[in-house]
Amino acid sequence: MGVSIQTGGGGGKKPLNADLNLVPYIDLLTCMVAFLLITAVWTQLARLQASQKGQGQAGEEVPPEQQVNIVVVVNQDGYNLVVGQDQTPIPKKGDQYDVEKLGGELKKVKDAHPDKNDVKVASEDQIKFDTLVRTMDTVLTARFPHISLIDTGAAGI
Amino acid sequence: MPFSPPSSHLYGSIKLEAASAKLHKHGRKSLYEALNLVAYIDMMTMLVIFLLMSFSASGEILFVQKNIVLPDAQNWTDLERAPVIAVSTEVVTLDGKQMATMDQLMQENTSGDFKIPELYDLLVTAKNNYKLLHPNEPFTGVAIVQSDKNVEFKALRKIMFTAQVAGYNNVNFAVAQKSKSGGGG
Repeated sequence: MGVSIQTGGGGGKKPLNADLNLVPYIDLLTCMVAFLLITAVWTQLARLQASQKGQGQAGEEVPPEQQVNIVVVVNQDGYNLVVGQDQTPIPKKGDQYDVEKLGGELKKVKDAHPDKNDVKVASEDQIKFDTLVRTMDTVLTARFPHISLIDTGAAGI
Repeated sequence: MPFSPPSSHLYGSIKLEAASAKLHKHGRKSLYEALNLVAYIDMMTMLVIFLLMSFSASGEILFVQKNIVLPDAQNWTDLERAPVIAVSTEVVTLDGKQMATMDQLMQENTSGDFKIPELYDLLVTAKNNYKLLHPNEPFTGVAIVQSDKNVEFKALRKIMFTAQVAGYNNVNFAVAQKSKSGGGG
C-alpha cells in the first residue's frame, strides 16, 4: 500500500488531497516504544574514582613542583585543609560541614599550585560516607582530579 | 393498539438523524469512519523521544538494593563492569552473596589486620577468573563499592583494605547522578 494521489483527471471534479498510509509508521513507533521500555534504565547511577595511595607510595617519582602535600582532613569538628605546613581549619556550620568554604579554599590552593592534581582526603572512623562523597565531590569541582581516600593515621599529620 | 410488522425503529425523542437515515435506508454514506490518528502518532512520537533520551547503551550495571541509599555527586564518571561490593547499614555483600555483617566490621581490631576473609577469597577468585577469561587484557583492578550514605568510614576502610590486598587498587564509589549545572566538572 502506498500513497494514493487522486489527480483529479476526468473533468477536474476530484480533489488533489492524498491520504497517507500511516500503518507502517505506527507499527514502527509501537516496536520502538516496546524496545525502549524494555531496555530503559530508570536509575541513573555513576561512580566517583578514588585511589587508596597513602603517603610515600613506593616507586613514584614526584616532580619538585608537585611535592606540596595537600590533605583535606575530615573530622568531627569540620574540615582541616593542610597544604604543606599550612593548616586551615574549616569548622562546621551548625551540624553541616562547610563545603562552600572548603571549595573556596581549594580553588585558592589550585590557583597557587596549578600543576598540582592530587589531593588526599583523610577521614576519621566515625565520618559518614555521605560526608566523604560530598567532600570528594568538592575536591573534584576544585579541579583536583586525583583523589586518595585514606584514614587520618595514614595522612601523617 | 394497531399491530405493525417488525422493523428498525428509534424512539421519537432521540434525534439521531444520521443513524435514523441509515436505518431507514435513506443515507448513502458508508458506516465506516476513518479514525483520526494524529493525536495518537503525536503521543507515540513524544514517548519515543523521551525513552530515547533516557536510553543507556551499556544497560543496567548496578541494581540498587532497597536498603541502600546512595549519595549524590556532581563530578561523576560512567560505570563499568566490575565486582560490586554492596554495603548497607546491616550487611556487606559481593555480587549478592553475604560477606560480613556490620557488627563484625564495627568491632575494634587491635591486630591491625583489617582483612575480611570471605570477601578477600571471593575477590581473589574473581580476579583469577578475569585473568583466565581475558588472557590478553591487563587486569585493571577496578571494584565498585555501593555503599549506603550512612555507613561509617570505619567499615569502608576495612572493605577498601580487603579489596586492595586482593589486588583491586582502583576502588570506585557508586553515586547517584546530580546535574552538573553548578559544577565545573
